[in-house]
Amino acid sequence: MALERWILRFRSLVSLALILAVWQGVAMLELVPRKYFPPIPDIAAGFWSMLLSGELLAGDSLTLGRALVGIVGSSLIGIGLALLGEMVPAFRSAFRPIAAIVQPIPPAALVPMAIFMLGLGFKLYAFVIILVTIWPPYLNGAAALAAVGDVEVKTGRMLGLSERDILFRIKLPAAWPEIFAGIRYAATISLIAVVVAEMLAGRDGLGFMLIRKAFATRIPEVYALMFVCAFNGVVLNALINLLRWRITGWHMRMTERTP
Amino acid sequence: MKRLADKSFWNAVWLPVAILAVWQVLAMRAHTPLFPGPWQTLLAISKLYPQIVGQLGFTLSRAGIGFLIAAVLMVPLGILLGRLKLLGKVLEPAIDMLATLPPPAVVPIVMLFAGTGDAAKIVIIAYAAAVPLLMNTYEASRTVHPSANLVARALHLTKLEAMLHIDLPAALPMIATGVRLAVSSALLVAVTSEMLLATNGIGVFIQRQQENFQISGGLAGIAFISLAGLIINSIVFQFEKRWLFWHYRNANSKG
Repeated sequence: MALERWILRFRSLVSLALILAVWQGVAMLELVPRKYFPPIPDIAAGFWSMLLSGELLAGDSLTLGRALVGIVGSSLIGIGLALLGEMVPAFRSAFRPIAAIVQPIPPAALVPMAIFMLGLGFKLYAFVIILVTIWPPYLNGAAALAAVGDVEVKTGRMLGLSERDILFRIKLPAAWPEIFAGIRYAATISLIAVVVAEMLAGRDGLGFMLIRKAFATRIPEVYALMFVCAFNGVVLNALINLLRWRITGWHMRMTERTP
Repeated sequence: MKRLADKSFWNAVWLPVAILAVWQVLAMRAHTPLFPGPWQTLLAISKLYPQIVGQLGFTLSRAGIGFLIAAVLMVPLGILLGRLKLLGKVLEPAIDMLATLPPPAVVPIVMLFAGTGDAAKIVIIAYAAAVPLLMNTYEASRTVHPSANLVARALHLTKLEAMLHIDLPAALPMIATGVRLAVSSALLVAVTSEMLLATNGIGVFIQRQQENFQISGGLAGIAFISLAGLIINSIVFQFEKRWLFWHYRNANSKG
């Protein structure tokens, strides 16, 4: 029992150690050619050399920065559109078919066309990321704003709040938890979209480095970059969780008290 | 009644029409084949649609196979991890980490093992679809209502029977959410993997059009992807409504 509790307390570390151990085991048994599946120390060495040469930080800061700008932009636009739809119902019903049509388009399909219209610079990434990540915050926000209970809205009206106050001080706070669920999903998509766009636009960033290293068959470095990609996701998630705690802490405290 | 229907029809249509009109005007002013308007796209569709549909067939069949592999492997695994609490708890951070690893980042590695053929693409698609399926199934089977477990014990079900007859049905609504996410990411990654590991499919088609400066052809391809996504999403929704009617019925009567 004591062992179990100990394992649960450090479960992230145990989990990480388990992955590394299995990885190292597979690599040492040489179930697959060592060249294609290098042991952990090789990967660490590849990581270290990329870190020392500065290319890793340069590439990752570009990728992470693009993802971050994209997610902030698409969250703001998504929430803004959801608020607009709540104020003007005609807009919401008009926007629905557009959401249904644009949503299934993969970012990869947009990149080649967008390169011609927007060039290889920042505009390309902003366009692609925002177009694919705007939907979760918008759809969740619109649904949550519309679902705010009648009682709350009527209470606000009785207290003499204006329509604007009701929207920003009653409906929006009630919708934040759902909106954040959407933003978290959007963060995952935005990282995918950035890496894909970098792979296809082929100039800089983590995605470009991945392709280049793979074609140069520097396999340990490819694996190291993969780990960095996963780490980016962890960083982005942590940032969003921090913000979520600041804005919807009341909700999280409430739901955690009654499990 | 008819007027009402008319009105809601116009409500749904005015914004797309307005956007198309603005786009057409911009395209006419730009007056270059690199910035085609909706009219040119329509012409490209009418000219290229046999080719597009054929290529889309390759893409969709790979996406379907990849999704099925992921579903067959991940739903049982998720339920198993939900049952074996300790193993599930320990592996949870690992699954979370896997979830943050974007599928395209896996492409170079898969390329080493499986080349650039159908197998490689199906593996990547299966990976992309596996993550939401596994996470949702695990989450659902972990949080099965305690009284359902008591029922299982009272009926002397074995662990396997409990998983099959109690955990699986209880987890279905959340698995359905996972399926919806997995289907859309399977489609998304199917196109992406084709563009990176070019052989055939709609992704390759779009890339070829771009390389030949046929932007309108590329937009035609995108239009078909969007249409396919729309149809697939609505099919998934129909299945969900048919198979999970009990869940929606309960949810509605409660609310």
